[in-house]
Amino acid sequence: MVASAALLGGLLVCLALLARAQGQDPAGAGAPPAPAALAATAGASPQLPLVARPPAEQPPVGLPGDAHLDKTPPRRTKGLDLVRMGWTYNCMECHKLIPARWHYDRPMAEHQDIRLEHGNNRFCLNCHHPTNRNAFVDYDGSEIAQRDVVLLCGKCHGPTYRDWEAGVHGRANGYWDTQKGPKTKLRCIQCHDPHQPAFKPMPPLPPLRYPPRAAHGRSRIERPEDNHP
Amino acid sequence: MNENPQNSVSPKTIEQVYQPVTRRTFLKGTAAAMAGLAGLVAALKPLLALERGEMTLDDLLQKHYRELKPEELQRILRELEARCAREHGVQPVIRDLKPLPGVEFGYALNLTRCIGCRKCAHACLQENNQSRSSADDIEMSYIRVLELKKGAINLEESDLYYNPQTVPQKDKYYMPVQCHQCREAPCTKVCPVQATWQEADGIVVVDYNWCIGCRYCMAACPYDARRFNYRKPNLQSARINPNQSYLSNRIRPKGVVEKCTFCLHRTRDGKYPACLEVCPTGARVFGNLLDPDSEISYILKNKRVYILKEDVGTLPRFYYFFDQ
Repeated sequence: MVASAALLGGLLVCLALLARAQGQDPAGAGAPPAPAALAATAGASPQLPLVARPPAEQPPVGLPGDAHLDKTPPRRTKGLDLVRMGWTYNCMECHKLIPARWHYDRPMAEHQDIRLEHGNNRFCLNCHHPTNRNAFVDYDGSEIAQRDVVLLCGKCHGPTYRDWEAGVHGRANGYWDTQKGPKTKLRCIQCHDPHQPAFKPMPPLPPLRYPPRAAHGRSRIERPEDNHP
Repeated sequence: MNENPQNSVSPKTIEQVYQPVTRRTFLKGTAAAMAGLAGLVAALKPLLALERGEMTLDDLLQKHYRELKPEELQRILRELEARCAREHGVQPVIRDLKPLPGVEFGYALNLTRCIGCRKCAHACLQENNQSRSSADDIEMSYIRVLELKKGAINLEESDLYYNPQTVPQKDKYYMPVQCHQCREAPCTKVCPVQATWQEADGIVVVDYNWCIGCRYCMAACPYDARRFNYRKPNLQSARINPNQSYLSNRIRPKGVVEKCTFCLHRTRDGKYPACLEVCPTGARVFGNLLDPDSEISYILKNKRVYILKEDVGTLPRFYYFFDQ
């Protein structure tokens, strides 16, 4: 049984590599094909199961009227490697064949971009549902939909979940006065990579040229404009 | 009968009585007259600006913001819009937003979450139309992000110009400082012309048309929250924010003091301030202190709150708090 599953998995990886090679041939460049290009060449590669990308179920960052303000999402999602190769977002396309394992003691061949550094939480099936891989799992084995990912994280991060519910954890945008407009709260995985949830260090924006009154102390950098009146 | 020495008049010399003009007194008098004349010329100097067309008679005779009739204020707002369009090529919408009833603004900042990326300070520039175009101009962001050593809140060893490859650095934490909108605001008390005052929702504002630029308020502020316009704002028209209001982010004239108003042109519209909108970690919390269900009330009820320079007794509406 295990051997047949491994065989199937190897077959799938071979298929994926083949698909990647096919995608690269017409393009000529090393870049993986864009989803739009894939849809256009769907006839050329019938073996790729194409399923429509699920609609974004996470709120947008910032107000549409604030074009002058920074709306960079806190985390840039790049998508799973298999999805970038042309596989679908429907995880069950493969996982109906590949049964779940509790623990992987080596980097997985199928998901090479996933490195699980989530503290004590070292098992895939702590969060992923064992039979429906498109959903997450609750304490009692019931499913948590992808858009309700906050409930999943709240299983362990209770105080943080309480703060998020109250609106004081995580990036918030929009209106403080909810009678005038909507308030959007980003979901956990819009800022934290669930597999490596620690916030990544980021480069700071450059120091500003403050007027002399505010630039106190010996820490000020010497620049010609500091000789302002 | 004895003569009382008190009543006797001592004889004076004729020079003492008539005080003729000597060389010394002449020079003294001339110097005093010249000083007076110079003072008169200085006092009339605004009339030269009137002569050159830099200001109108209406500007010169404008009353204090709080004494203006609504129609007078509307005329001034339209005049300011026209001037911005003329000088910067951008047609703004300058509004006069009044404090909302039943609202008192409060701000809280999570020192555990702030990573010192300075996005708030840069968003402040973009939102509030501050000088920033030329490289030799100062950038008057109302927010200063201080880098401090972990273990104490020692502002004297803070660094304003930290610039590592990535933030947050280990063994450092970051404290953005901006106007605390104090309940006992020392800046409003020292203003000799009452050009700055506290509104009903707690925001300390400046009437830029009434400010005389004496900078007493800057000396009085314990948080270095105020900025002075040493020169005319140097703005690229493409970077002007057209959503403006009279008391907050309209383009300021030279020689006046300005400050953070919690973006009242946004917050009195129900929106969040610009610095909160861009914060990538969600370290900033803003809301109505009078609403027991607001986010800021949740912070004050449930978190460990720190008040910067609490000992100076300014009773700020800006709170720092910790998660862990």
